[in-house]
Amino acid sequence: MAGRWQWFHRLGSPKWFYEKTTRWLPWLWGAMALFLTVGLLWALLFLPEDYQQGHTSRILVVHVAVAGTSLSFFPLMAVAGTVTLVWRMKLADMVAKNAAPLGAWFSFLTLATGSIWGSVSWGTWWEWTDSRLVSMLFQFFLLLGVISLRAAIENAETAARACALLSIVGCINVVVIKYSVDWWNTLHQPSSPISMEVGSPNGPEFWVATVVMIVAVYLFLAVSLILATRNEILQRESRAQWVRELALEAG
Amino acid sequence: MFDGIQFNSLGEFLAMGGYAFNVWSVYALFAIFLVANLALPLRKRRRILREQQRRLAAGAGQEEAGAADRAGWELSQEPGWEK
Amino acid sequence: MMKPHRRNRLGIILFITVGLSVAIGLTLFALSQNINMFYSPTAVANGEVEAGTMFRIGGMVKDGSVNQRQDSLAVRFVTTDYVHDVPVDYEGILPDLFREGQGIVAEGRLDAAGVFQASRVLAKHDENYMSPEVRAAMQQAGASPENHSFRESPED
Repeated sequence: MAGRWQWFHRLGSPKWFYEKTTRWLPWLWGAMALFLTVGLLWALLFLPEDYQQGHTSRILVVHVAVAGTSLSFFPLMAVAGTVTLVWRMKLADMVAKNAAPLGAWFSFLTLATGSIWGSVSWGTWWEWTDSRLVSMLFQFFLLLGVISLRAAIENAETAARACALLSIVGCINVVVIKYSVDWWNTLHQPSSPISMEVGSPNGPEFWVATVVMIVAVYLFLAVSLILATRNEILQRESRAQWVRELALEAG
Repeated sequence: MFDGIQFNSLGEFLAMGGYAFNVWSVYALFAIFLVANLALPLRKRRRILREQQRRLAAGAGQEEAGAADRAGWELSQEPGWEK
Repeated sequence: MMKPHRRNRLGIILFITVGLSVAIGLTLFALSQNINMFYSPTAVANGEVEAGTMFRIGGMVKDGSVNQRQDSLAVRFVTTDYVHDVPVDYEGILPDLFREGQGIVAEGRLDAAGVFQASRVLAKHDENYMSPEVRAAMQQAGASPENHSFRESPED
């Protein structure tokens, strides 16, 4: 029993996570800075104009990267939530707790950038009848719901379980967001097929910048979530010997 | 392979073909989003460590007095959670 | 080996998730016609829209069909899904992306003559992005990229 699951339980140890991420963080920061720089320069300077929307194509690099990444929050919180419910692992709940506000930021930025793009391209900032737009707004509210649920329940353990369940159920909405443009008529365009040939519709000159930006935004998600989770560990484990030593060293 | 830089002058770059407001407000929001979600956790970390140092400096004798108001954080002390 | 009580918890979670997914899936399926943002010209021709009701129609602006009045903002164009055509009347400012051969969504009512009286016209970008040079080269070659923005009524 112990042998086979030991690695899994060690993964759940806050101390183990803290020590590992101390070593990972410099690399993650470096990679994030590199991809962000390349992505931003490419999107702002080298990305060609679109024949229809002109320079507003530059908005879509940010919008697509942030929107795509925002869909990973509910699956992430659901996996963490399942670990919380089944194995009662503290670390999983710390990750889930800090993922929710970050996911709300992601969803908000998706809605805001899409709206700013739509105001010129569609001729409207918002359409209540578009299922892609409304399901993304629903994700934003669901995340606010997860945050308030945790704040509303006094017992930390009960709160963690309730949030875990809501996160698992919330994954259904991610599927709806993803396929809304295929299942129903929407103003929002469907996702683009990529082409390998330069000078063809959706050629590399359009999508490479977006792919670089997607990697950059995922790295940013990792760095930000790890920083927040480490803070949570320092607070919850403030009485542990290793945290005391760490505080004294930092002083 | 690619056409290179799409603009001939700084003015042209800032004007974004007439969509300056839309393009630049999106990039400004993106910058705020990135900076906020990195700077805020870093600032919080410094605050947590400072508080921890203060508590430790206050001495082991006062340890029990401060424990009650911190108990809410410490899930590890509650039954049901794995160590 | 997983402990039995953990296996039970996992089972309950799976049961709740699968149950809710099925329930939500069935609800969305039942509502799917209402979730559509617009009707295609074919759906209108098939009489899927009740006469006199406010609705949205979506299609391509037929090439050569845009007729702009000189003395006002009034415009008439034909929207098509390449199966059926519906003429549209509109007075107002058109979005930047409104062009012949591009998609639009218009909101309004069908009048007795079968003309769609639009109170609002939105432009729809399809999923193809390309530079103006690439577009010009394609047009010269007489090719047009595939687009899935307007299918014929998906529910039929």
